[in-house]
Formats: sequence, structure tokens, C-alpha cells
Amino acid sequence: MLPIALKMLFGDPMKLIGLVFGIAFSTLLMSQQGGFFIGLISRAANVIADAREATIWVMDPQTETVEGPTNMRATELLRVRGVQGVLWAVPLVRASGTVRTAEGRSTTASFIGVDDASLVGMTGRFVAGAPEDLRRPDAIAIDQLGFARLWPGEQLKTGKVLEVNDRRAVIAAITDAAPGFAAPVVVYTRLSQALVYVPGGRNTLSFVLVRNVPESDAVTVARRISETTGLRALTSQAFERATIDYVLANTGIAFSFGVVIALGAIVGILVCGLTFTLFVNDNIRQFAVLKAIGVSNGRILGMVASQAIVVAFIGYSIGIWLSSAFFDGVNQPLSDLKGFWLPWQVAALSAAAVLAIVLLATVVSLRRVFALDPAITFRG
Amino acid sequence: MLNRTDFDAHAGEMTFLVGPSGCGKTTLISILSAMLRADEGDATVFGADLKALSGRALSRFRGETVGFVFQQFNLLPALDAAENAAVPLIVHGMATGRARRRASELLDRLGLAESLKKFPRELSGGQQQRVAIARALVHDPKLIVCDEPTASLDGASGHAVMNILRTLAVRPDRAAIIVTHDDRIFQFADRIAFMADGRVVRTEKRPFEEMH
Repeated sequence: MLPIALKMLFGDPMKLIGLVFGIAFSTLLMSQQGGFFIGLISRAANVIADAREATIWVMDPQTETVEGPTNMRATELLRVRGVQGVLWAVPLVRASGTVRTAEGRSTTASFIGVDDASLVGMTGRFVAGAPEDLRRPDAIAIDQLGFARLWPGEQLKTGKVLEVNDRRAVIAAITDAAPGFAAPVVVYTRLSQALVYVPGGRNTLSFVLVRNVPESDAVTVARRISETTGLRALTSQAFERATIDYVLANTGIAFSFGVVIALGAIVGILVCGLTFTLFVNDNIRQFAVLKAIGVSNGRILGMVASQAIVVAFIGYSIGIWLSSAFFDGVNQPLSDLKGFWLPWQVAALSAAAVLAIVLLATVVSLRRVFALDPAITFRG
Repeated sequence: MLNRTDFDAHAGEMTFLVGPSGCGKTTLISILSAMLRADEGDATVFGADLKALSGRALSRFRGETVGFVFQQFNLLPALDAAENAAVPLIVHGMATGRARRRASELLDRLGLAESLKKFPRELSGGQQQRVAIARALVHDPKLIVCDEPTASLDGASGHAVMNILRTLAVRPDRAAIIVTHDDRIFQFADRIAFMADGRVVRTEKRPFEEMH
């Protein structure tokens, strides 16, 4: 019966297009917004992910996220270094500031000051220059997006001069750092230089980055640091999770994206449900004929379900392709939407939602078919 | 609505069921073709007590035992002539290709060899009814039920359709029941049952072979 079901489906191109459009649009909306949501909340933890050498982040107990630290006294670094199980511990300062070109263009940036000696905490992805170039006087490393904002249309090159809070800065390297949450432009510099640009007063330490000795466990060492120093110490993964959880709990992001994703699902249910019900109702006489000539309700269920699954497959494929093409288009090094992508989990959840939508539409539309009296075929 | 009526159709005969609108003809053939359950009384078709069958068994019974020809043809618009005629075989599980070949042979006998790949919208009313007849006969059912098979056709087409039915549908082991208002085709009947007010009020035996 499958070939007959498919011929019935493809024999009505206008309704087929309507059904496919409904599913494709719904898939596009859900997966695109889902991808945006994941991309945006991931930005909150990008700085942590980029500092690959550190296994533990130590911070003031009031610090909730990597984006908004409460600074500590510099002496806390020494206390952390004294804890058993710590292989090394280095300082990191994080602040926001404005960078300005001689031509007057400016942009807000996240400043990350890394340990002068080890440069630990810096991204490993460089487009021009190298980490060692930060040792030069007034040196900073800016990401591609920041460079493009400050000198639109120009080739990426080092040696350009900037002003940071009225202080001279020279671009010594250009990175491919993952964008930040509050400010997508990320500027790395030595800690001593960062304190010149964004003075921190008495408290000059945002985080202490720690690596535990290989024979110890990061969770245990983090707990020991907390107990010994009274500071908050989390493994990198735990701090990423905590940062994302804080953003979700304290911003309207989850709610607003949730509303749009739900709207996508509702549009899908309405368009698909109504069109599919219309499709089945328009074919009600054909189903009655099939019932008259001996097709059971179970086989009709199979026919309608196979029609629904084919529609879902085509619509989902188009929708997810459009969504994927969108993210491919915007996830470029110089784009404000850099770092936004379509995670497979979002694609899988969208597929599950689409399947639920078409199954719901099938159930709704089949109620009439099941109750259908095949004797209507005798009526003119 | 039927009212304490008795009706017999015999294998090897073409029985016409005639009467005014609303007299119960459609209800009667709906019961005999296992589409409708009688609230009271018995309906036995080729030894099967239809009242005792479950909904699923009634579906199977219709699929195996009954062939239908409808007034409005009721062909599936998305299928071509050969596919439409092959539907009962596909319902029985025959492979689509084999079913199509068998249906095509029957359509060939019905003079539609050139129209196998035509869709219903591309066929005349007479041609559509011939496809419907092929669909009714292709799985070799024991009972053929035709509801006003000539009502949507002109005189010549109606006559041609009845000739085909008479030639292909009537066999010693098969009964054919034709519901009709069309007295121009009464000549094809072996027996005519007249209905009024939900009952068969009179049955006439008409020796078809003697008349022709």
C-alpha cells in the first residue's frame, strides 16, 4: 500500500507544497533559534574554553561568571600556589574597555591580561603574529573581528597603533579568539600592561589559573584550594557550566529564545496539522473507497503515517539545510555572528519535534478516517 | 431503513434491485457487501454469517469476496488506469508489478489497452466505468455489487458497460447485484427485485438467454 499512499500524496502538489513548507519553516525557526541560543550562551564561557592549559579557576567567592569577576588582592596568588596538589598557578585579569583608532573608530572590548612570564590563559589560535610578540612594549593581541571593526575593509596586519583609555597600544598579533558574551571583541595583553590600560586599584587579580599535578584529581585539588584559602575554586568544566547556568538564570535569554522556539513548534503544528487534516479530508472519499474494497483501519493508519513521515522527511531536510546554510554563511571570522553554529543536538531535537508534529497531525486527521463509513461510496 | 425484508441473489445470475429513491436499495446492498451491519435479522453471503464477523473480518470479507462498481466510479485520481484496476490485488498483498500486469490484461479485454497509463481525468465516463469494472473483477470475487453503474453515462456507454458486465461478471460461481433506476438496462437482468418502503415487494425471474 505504500506506493499507493505516496502516489496519493504526490498527486496533490499544492497541498504537498503547503505541508512541506509548514514543516520546513518550523524546522528552520526551531533549529536556527536553537543554534543562536546555544551559540550565545556558549560565548559566556568562551574565555574559559580558550585557556586550555588551566584545569582549575580560582576566584573571589562573589564571582559568578567569567564575564563579571570581583577582583581579589594579588597576594591571593601566593596562597593558592601554596596548596598541595597545585602544579602551577598564574594570575589573570579580566576587564572591559574601549579601543580607539587614530581615525576615531572605536569598539568595546574584553581585556584579558595574562601572566607576563608564562602567557598562560591566552588563546592558542593566532592568525598573525605569535604569543611571544606580546612581550614587546605596549603590545596587544586583538581578534580578527575587532580588527575588522576598527579598520573595515583593510587586510589583517600587525603594527597598527590604537588608544586604550588614552594609552598607546600596538597590535602585535591577531588572534582567532572565540567571541565574548558581553563584548564580542577580545583583546589579550600581558597582565602588567592590562593594569596600565584598565587600572584595578588595590585589587588587581580577577582569577588565578591553576593546573593540578598529574597524579592528583582536579576536583579534589579545587576543593582543597577552597578549603584552604576561602576562595571559590572550580574545575574548568564546572566553571563553564556555572557561568552558563548563571547567564540562563539571570538573563531573559532562555525565556525569549524559548518563546521563539515554541512559536516555531506552534506554527509547525498549526500549519502542518491544518494542511494535513485538509489533505486527509479532501481524500476522505478515496479512503472510503479503500475501506470499501477491504483495506483495514490499521493499513490506512500505515498509509497516512507513511505520508506524514515522507512529508516530515522532505520538510525537515529542507529546513535543516536552510538553517545549516544560514550558520555556514554567518559563522565567518569577520562576522558579528562568529561562533554561532548548528549543534547536532539542536538538529536532533528539531527532528524529534517535527516527528511529534506530524504524528500529532496524523492522529488528529485520522480520527475522521477511522470513523468513516465505507458505505458513503454508494452515495452520489 | 429496511423493514422485515427477504432478499436472495443467486450465483450465476445478474440480479437487479430496483425501486424509488429512499426505498432501502443502498442500505440492502451495504449490508450484503459487508459495509453495514444489520441491527436485526441475518445476512448470509456465500455461507458467511456477516453478523458474526468482527470489523476486521468484515474488511477482509469485502476485500476477498466482493467487487464494487460505483455510480461515481470512485477511481483514485493519483493512480493511472492500470494501477486503479490493480488496487484490490495490492490490498491482498500481491507485488505491485505483478498486480499491474494482471490488471492490464483485464483492461485489455475491456478495450482499454491504449489507456493503461492514463489517469482518470484523462478518461471518458465510459472508460472510467470500465476501469472500475476491471477493479471490481480483477481479484475474482464471488459477489459483484454495482450501484447505479450506468447513471453517469449516456445511453450508448451505459449499454456498452452492461454488455461488459454481463459478459465478464456473470459466472456459475459468482452472483452479481445491480442497483439501478435505469429501465433501459433491465434487459440485462436474470432476476429483478422490486423494492418499496424498505422491503422487497416482488421478484421477477427474466430468462436473459431466451430474451437474447
